[in-house]
Amino acid sequence: MVNKIKVENLSCYYNEKCVLESLNIDVVQNEILSVIGPANSGKTTFLRTLNRMNDLDITYSRKGDVYLDDNNIFDMKMEDLRKRVGMLFAMPIPLPMSIYENIIYAPKRLGLITRKSYQDTIVERALKDASLWNEVKDRLNSSAMRMSGGQQQRLCIARILAVNPEVILFDEPCSGLDPVSTVKVEESMLELKQKYTIVLVTNNVKQASRVSDRTAFFLTGKLVEIDKTAKLFVSPKEKTTEDYITGRFG
Amino acid sequence: MIKLNPKLSQKFSYLLLCVATILAIVPVVVIIFIIIKNGASVISWEFLTSMPKNGMCGGGILPAIVGTLSIVLCAVLITLPIGVCAAIYLNEYAKDNLLTRIVKLAIVNLAGVPSVVYGLFGLGVFVMFLKLGVSIIAGALTLSIMELPVIITTARGALSSVPYSFREASLSLGVSRWQTIRHVVLPNALPGILTGAILSIARISGETAPILFTAAAFYVPHLPHSPLDQVMALPYHLFIISTQIPNMPKNIIYGTALVLLMMVLTMSCVAIVARIYFRKRRKW
Repeated sequence: MVNKIKVENLSCYYNEKCVLESLNIDVVQNEILSVIGPANSGKTTFLRTLNRMNDLDITYSRKGDVYLDDNNIFDMKMEDLRKRVGMLFAMPIPLPMSIYENIIYAPKRLGLITRKSYQDTIVERALKDASLWNEVKDRLNSSAMRMSGGQQQRLCIARILAVNPEVILFDEPCSGLDPVSTVKVEESMLELKQKYTIVLVTNNVKQASRVSDRTAFFLTGKLVEIDKTAKLFVSPKEKTTEDYITGRFG
Repeated sequence: MIKLNPKLSQKFSYLLLCVATILAIVPVVVIIFIIIKNGASVISWEFLTSMPKNGMCGGGILPAIVGTLSIVLCAVLITLPIGVCAAIYLNEYAKDNLLTRIVKLAIVNLAGVPSVVYGLFGLGVFVMFLKLGVSIIAGALTLSIMELPVIITTARGALSSVPYSFREASLSLGVSRWQTIRHVVLPNALPGILTGAILSIARISGETAPILFTAAAFYVPHLPHSPLDQVMALPYHLFIISTQIPNMPKNIIYGTALVLLMMVLTMSCVAIVARIYFRKRRKW
């Protein structure tokens, strides 16, 4: 077991108000770690700190360190970090361009394309890895805005895969999707686990139990419990965890 | 206080709102009607393309048209890049602190400064201090300064109408801030910026006070050769022929007004058509 991400004593604040308190947590290489917890538990703040999306918010401040392969992410250049740690948002956000351009957008900007002929290969591989290729291969040049919600979300996954990251953060990726699309996104997560390390924040407790290797339960800015998913869902150590996963919570 | 029953008060308010709308439209319609009625007779190819004759009582208004177009064109070429860059900085980079807020407030207020003040400023700075003389370039610079706040404000509006999530999506892929602006934000804000620019062209074409001391001449017998030449300008020419020259044929005055009006209206129409076109093409 190799630790991909190591979080040491991380505290986060919005306008001096503490939303995440001295968090210590590790993410193991090639696992799916899911983070569950009620609203205001700090789980999304935790996720958005891992690729420093929160740095855009001027009311946000933090203490503590996060290491990615032993490199402190707060010392890294933001662009380099985000290239290695991709993020999928709750609502699918395709850019207003064609499907093809959506995939090729980031590799182009990051200078990952050495030869022009290489573009088609990148697009095809990314779409195949996100299990979207068969549905869109005949309309790569049509607007990404005209796809269904589930397809858009898988397009966003493909877009992340195209820059070849090491870690992918999922921020409630299925909250706007129907059950069928949800299953498809979950299937691709399990597929992706072979190559990538995944952190999944979800409001759907069942989803956490279906896809993740380990689960962490957050409550009001603190990590209450973290364990193998199979164990946490069967015999949680803490009473609050049990209450939350069985739906008896507050 | 008389209490009206709901039905009657509904009818009454409706009537009041209708009357207010009609009152707002009537003067514009009347102005346009009178100008067209009195001026349409002189509009001809010759009127648009020949020099004035007989102490401006005959001939055409070509130098005034060319003068206005060249001043306005120069002004836009100066304002647009500066204004858009400033808008990008204010909207995308500037931190939301006291200084930025003061700058933003100042920009909004600058748009309310009377145009004659800009004219005097242009006279002092461009014509006299920088020794550009009364010239196209001095007039264009004066108009640019006047138009900057408007361009910045409309460009900022266009930039902030691009959903924030697009920026987040792009940044989250490791794309830099500038590349995100260049390749995602700007292309989607461009329609709004362009429509704003066209509308401001329409607005400054008719401005008289700022070019009064900085660019416009009473009469120039030839077309401008360089940006340092004095020129005739439509709005100023209109002022002169209607007040300074005795026995001026009425229809030439109205004809000149009609040309100026048509120029401005055409540009507004182009802006409206452009907006409709871009809105249809918009993908989100």
